[in-house]
Amino acid sequence: MEKSIENTWKEGFLKSDALVAPKINNLYNQKSIHITAKFERMAKINLVAIVVFAVIFLLVTTYNGLLVLGISWFLILSGLVIVNYRSLKGLNKVNNHTNSYEYLVSFNDWLQNQLSMNRKMARLYYPLLFLTIIIGFWLFDAEGIPLGERLVGEVLYGFPDTYMLNGIPLLAIIFMAVIVGVLFLFGGKIYMLDVSIIYGRIFKKLDDLLADIEELKE
Amino acid sequence: MSILPFSGIIIKLCRAYTNSQEDFEDYFQEVCLQIWRSKESFREESSWSTWVYRISLNVCLTLLKKDKKSIGHFASDTLVAADTEDTFVFSDESLNHLYEAIKQLSEIDRAVITLYLEEKSYQEIGDIIGTNPNNIGVRIKRIKSRLKIILDGKIY
Repeated sequence: MEKSIENTWKEGFLKSDALVAPKINNLYNQKSIHITAKFERMAKINLVAIVVFAVIFLLVTTYNGLLVLGISWFLILSGLVIVNYRSLKGLNKVNNHTNSYEYLVSFNDWLQNQLSMNRKMARLYYPLLFLTIIIGFWLFDAEGIPLGERLVGEVLYGFPDTYMLNGIPLLAIIFMAVIVGVLFLFGGKIYMLDVSIIYGRIFKKLDDLLADIEELKE
Repeated sequence: MSILPFSGIIIKLCRAYTNSQEDFEDYFQEVCLQIWRSKESFREESSWSTWVYRISLNVCLTLLKKDKKSIGHFASDTLVAADTEDTFVFSDESLNHLYEAIKQLSEIDRAVITLYLEEKSYQEIGDIIGTNPNNIGVRIKRIKSRLKIILDGKIY
């Protein structure tokens, strides 16, 4: 007896086992490759962006008479790029595992090391960047006199009883020390905030994928 | 947001565009991967299911285009002819006939009839294939008539 298209479709699929989804092992391999490749690509772009910024900043500050600031930032940022570039090269060693889960776990370990190293570095370079801004502007030539000295002169003219330490108002030193201290204390957190803005989505995908595979394994 | 409740239709769609178990697995895998990749771009302008089917269809059509290109590129290769033969067989004979007929339809018509047979509304079918839902009814009638001709009385 002939059947309608609709019935053939319904009954056919009820009878057959054609609706069993194929094994998707390779899917996790592809997902893992996608995540790590995307991270590597983004990290490289990020490093290039820092180098470009450092060079432009050096040129702009030099042109505007803030050579010390430009050179200091260039050196600090270059150091940061070199350390991270070397670390990124170590990512190749991660790609030496039998399955996607092991691969992702090693990638995650590598990533956590990388983040921890950068968090520690951030506690140093954020205060350093701040101090070099102060020193850079302090040494900026303001009509033959360094801007810092000129400002101190102005302060002393207005407040002659200002307490000084090595030619710098004590209040200014305390203010700078507080900012340096805050940057030292929260440098790691500021770095993580910065990182989560750029890489937040990838980190979430990585966590989800690891959780997915772990669930699948169980 | 899971694709599990829709895996049945994804499987049926992928089957409509592939001729072997190997191709089917590749298509299914690519669909799952693409849904996962673009999950973040889901803006809730449509329902999750519509979005999943739309991606599935787009991936199948893209892969089909790629396959056609590579077949064109190696047209003289005898292996290609064997590769395009339908090697997958359902345990139900009538379903095999129906799928063979569906595969003779145009690429979009295959999706339309699959979604229709899965009892999707004209509105949702229209949303998935990106066309006016008012035309879907007429299109389905036309597709069914064509299927009847291809099936030549095996199914009415």
